[in-house]
Amino acid sequence: MAEQVLKPDLNFVKDIIASGGESLKKCYQCSTCTVVCNVTPDTKPFPRKEMMYAQWGIKDKLISNPDVWLCHQCSDCTAHCPRGAKPGEVLGAIRKMTIKAYAAPGALATMVGDAKYLLVLFAIPAIIFLAIIASLGNLNLSAIPRGEDGGIVYAKFIPVPFIDAVFIAAATFALISFIIGIKKYWSAMSAGVNLQGNLVGNIKDTIIEILSHKKFQECTVTKERSTAHLLVFYAFAGLAVTTTWAIVYLYGHEIFGIQGTSLLHFGESPYPLYDPMKILGNVSALALLFGITLVTSNRLKNAARAGGGSYFDWLFISVIYAIVATGILSEVLRLLDIALLAYPVYFVHLVCVFFLFAYAPFSKMAHMVYRTTAMVFARYARREG
Amino acid sequence: MSEQNNKQASRILVIGGGFSGLTTAVDAAETGAEVIVVERNPYLGGRVAQLNKYFPKLCPPICGLEINFRRIKTNPSISFYTMAEVDNITGGPGDYSVTVKLNPRYVNDNCVACNACAEACPAERPNEYNFGMDTTKAAYLPFTQAFPQKYVIDSAHCKGDCGKACQTACKYDAIDLGMKAGTITVKVDSVVVATGWNPYDANKLDILGFGKVKNVITNMMMERLASPAGPTAGKLVRPSDGKPVQTVAFVQCAGSRDENHLPFCSYICCLASLKQATYIREQNPESKVRIFYIDIRTPGRYEKFYWKVKDDPNVTLTKGKVASVVQAEGSDDVVVIAEDMMTGDKVKVKVDMVVLATGMEPAGAAKKLSGVDYNENGFALSGTGVFATGCSKNPMDVAKSGQDATGAVMRAIQTGQRR
Repeated sequence: MAEQVLKPDLNFVKDIIASGGESLKKCYQCSTCTVVCNVTPDTKPFPRKEMMYAQWGIKDKLISNPDVWLCHQCSDCTAHCPRGAKPGEVLGAIRKMTIKAYAAPGALATMVGDAKYLLVLFAIPAIIFLAIIASLGNLNLSAIPRGEDGGIVYAKFIPVPFIDAVFIAAATFALISFIIGIKKYWSAMSAGVNLQGNLVGNIKDTIIEILSHKKFQECTVTKERSTAHLLVFYAFAGLAVTTTWAIVYLYGHEIFGIQGTSLLHFGESPYPLYDPMKILGNVSALALLFGITLVTSNRLKNAARAGGGSYFDWLFISVIYAIVATGILSEVLRLLDIALLAYPVYFVHLVCVFFLFAYAPFSKMAHMVYRTTAMVFARYARREG
Repeated sequence: MSEQNNKQASRILVIGGGFSGLTTAVDAAETGAEVIVVERNPYLGGRVAQLNKYFPKLCPPICGLEINFRRIKTNPSISFYTMAEVDNITGGPGDYSVTVKLNPRYVNDNCVACNACAEACPAERPNEYNFGMDTTKAAYLPFTQAFPQKYVIDSAHCKGDCGKACQTACKYDAIDLGMKAGTITVKVDSVVVATGWNPYDANKLDILGFGKVKNVITNMMMERLASPAGPTAGKLVRPSDGKPVQTVAFVQCAGSRDENHLPFCSYICCLASLKQATYIREQNPESKVRIFYIDIRTPGRYEKFYWKVKDDPNVTLTKGKVASVVQAEGSDDVVVIAEDMMTGDKVKVKVDMVVLATGMEPAGAAKKLSGVDYNENGFALSGTGVFATGCSKNPMDVAKSGQDATGAVMRAIQTGQRR
């Protein structure tokens, strides 16, 4: 056997422990976890080997490995672990470290992962939006112009071009950061691996699997989690379609001069509640609220067996909660015409949405990109699928 | 206290008549102490009496027990009660008052163990001595060499006219159906707790198949299966269809070293499995044994035994705990699943029979005696006049139990002499 030189990184071990993997050192390598895991491949299964690498601080093997993302944190391993070493939680912490390792700029990842920077992170969008509002002279909420029918129009509070400018900038930033991170991750995984899959087919199969959540449904202890996640996933998809649709309405009218019909309201917001775009948006919002509530209740219910989750997890859940709550409230307060509450709530909504998108490459939101990449890679490398 | 009293013999109550309790009793009595042994079973010998062979010499345990039985029989300082349970311990060192419940045997000292009652008995009962793998008549001798050699009538299974049939068959007037449960109180200077252990309930090991998957047995069942006096007369055949076993997998740490079950090492299970591997290998030269383990723990000089078994090419030791046991499709075979850590791949191994190396649960986990202190796992703790010994306080093997009991004797005698 060829000689191998291991490079333990003790700070990496400390970081895993600080990131929700505090039970890591309890592992005594019995491998109950790999056997009870329903989602691991049979060859070189996880998470036993990851627990060993993590204990030793062999960072390279962990962050250049698709396996930590093939884990869906079913927590079957954690429930059956004879030592309370919580492999599910440790792998969650390793995933956080992976995001941090590849994210650009790395400093932002450190901030997103650490509660002491939370206020700073929220202050950035808050200042941006406050500056816009102040520059428009809209700080006096009762003086904000109303719509033709006298109702609240958020576009008059913060006009669409400003929103677009801020979010296009945020999205571009996130996209570039993701591209840099994923390129690094892919090349780290590819080193020394014989890639012989059919990339297009592998991507297609991965997408089908994500859409069906088939792998996720193989969890035993936290079986309901796949339903909750599926709901959140499709709610986000619905909201993405809604947003695109709204863009088509606005710019379709303004740029291409498309006129609205009694059903499809091309033009500016707000749109009537019976508009199909509005219906999709509202249904998606309710699905998201229901889904994220299910996610939360499952986590609380399973905490004793599956582990309580880390700051990283709960920050992500909290931001989604804040987005969906302020989103629904914004609409309700607008319809009820309670201006003094409606505008501030809408402001908070925008701040939270900014938080989710601009910091996506550094928060748990990044899981959708890294896990998808790992799933494609695992197929491409004949690791799975 | 007068000088006169100081010269009286120490009075010691020993709770439990297994190997630890018997050793305590004979060692103490042979120094002049008065000893009372209280045993819950209808026989003495405890778990050791259920073994096929025991360490360190791998001889049948009945020879070791026989020696102790003879020492008891010939020593007037020892009295013992079987089918008896300690109810309550009050008082303090030098002056304990212990109430003991005596359950009826329905058979008196006239019994000559002629078996006539069992032959006549119409009812049967599951044989817990063989872990339910066979039955006996409701009038039964616990096992061939049981001491005392007296039959028992299991009243829970011998209802209606059953008792009468046994009584009629007995030519020695040994059956007394009118026996009632009673309580006695004994006064002693010190108490030795030697309540031993129970095999951990394998039904609680949900992923290891016991009770759900055919041909999954425990290591203690394996002892009975291998014993010439066991349910198969020592033939190693699997329970579902009587097929002689060719391939056997051992699952180490079945409940032990597991915070969800027994959060401690049961000390002897690794050796028990290595020993049982020799049962299988000696009976059938074609057989193959595979032992799945986390760490093979062979304390002290037992390491040598480990090397001996390991050298057998038909015994494979695989590092990786079995965490799934399922029935093979379309047969009574069993599939065990583990990660072979040396290759880093999951292995699914089909075998004729699986033995779960279940650990020792101290008797205190199921039943605590009032007047005795226990730790959080049910292990008995020694006090100033109440001393724990053997597996009631720590998992250990028979040899260590003997040594430990001798130590307990010393402290019990001291307590009596300080009265």
